[in-house]
Amino acid sequence: MRVSFVSQSSQCQEMAGVGFQRWVRTLSKGKISGISGLLPACRSASGVSKDMLPGKYNIRVEDYKPIADNGEGYGDYPQLPDRSQQDRDPAYQWDHPDLRRNWNEPMHWDFDMFIRNRVDTSPTVVPWSTMCKQLFGFVGFMLFMFYLGDKFPAYQPVGPKQFPYNNLHLERGGSPDVEPEEVKNYEI
Amino acid sequence: MADYREAPLATRPKTLDPNEYFNLSPDYRRAEAERAALRAGLKRQYQLQLNNPHRKELIEDPALNRWVYARANPYNHFKATKKTSLLGALFGVAPLFILYYVFKTDRVCYGGR
Repeated sequence: MRVSFVSQSSQCQEMAGVGFQRWVRTLSKGKISGISGLLPACRSASGVSKDMLPGKYNIRVEDYKPIADNGEGYGDYPQLPDRSQQDRDPAYQWDHPDLRRNWNEPMHWDFDMFIRNRVDTSPTVVPWSTMCKQLFGFVGFMLFMFYLGDKFPAYQPVGPKQFPYNNLHLERGGSPDVEPEEVKNYEI
Repeated sequence: MADYREAPLATRPKTLDPNEYFNLSPDYRRAEAERAALRAGLKRQYQLQLNNPHRKELIEDPALNRWVYARANPYNHFKATKKTSLLGALFGVAPLFILYYVFKTDRVCYGGR
């Protein structure tokens, strides 16, 4: 009877076909037991030789390079190139085309950051320095000009506003009985 | 191929990588062959499971399981170094005190009015 186990992806599954054979082979090679043989572990895990780690992760021994051990909890997970999924060939026949990933391919530690909806490391049309210069140049220039415009305002000469009806005597609350003083705002 | 330029916002596809055609050193070729063999083996496994007419269950992805496990259990490999302690203090301890101070003064100053 096949062994079944509950994986982190919260699905009860049976080991199927080739995956099971590979597991048995890995177990028989080393002293590790159970699921821990296939799961990421700490670097000095007893019984797991350095040669088995790349096989566990499906990369070549020469390509395997663990993430820097600075206590941040990476264990022996391999360091893969920091390229986003958008960077991958769109014309290749991926097993999962939307993720641009093949089945059982080692996943980058930040895979969920590198999906196509999120961070993209594709090369830009224009170099980064040029983009920075253009953006900050323009914004800086506009800020400077607005500052100057604020300091030295330039507009048509204006005088105080003139109102009709004796400077709006009634609208300003003056009583209708009192005769307002005649205000002449024009010259003919 | 000499005058091929990549489209904007794209990297050069593998089939147009000059290394594929002009890098004849045996080590490089062997490395590429090994990588291709690994890829082909995984593809074969997947296709066998995918097209198996007797399969009733989901095809589980061991790399995905490993990734999920690795992301969910960083504390097993945690070590208190200078950097991790600093980060912990910055994000875990300092906000408590800063926010307490901010809210307290805010409440005292403006809460009365």
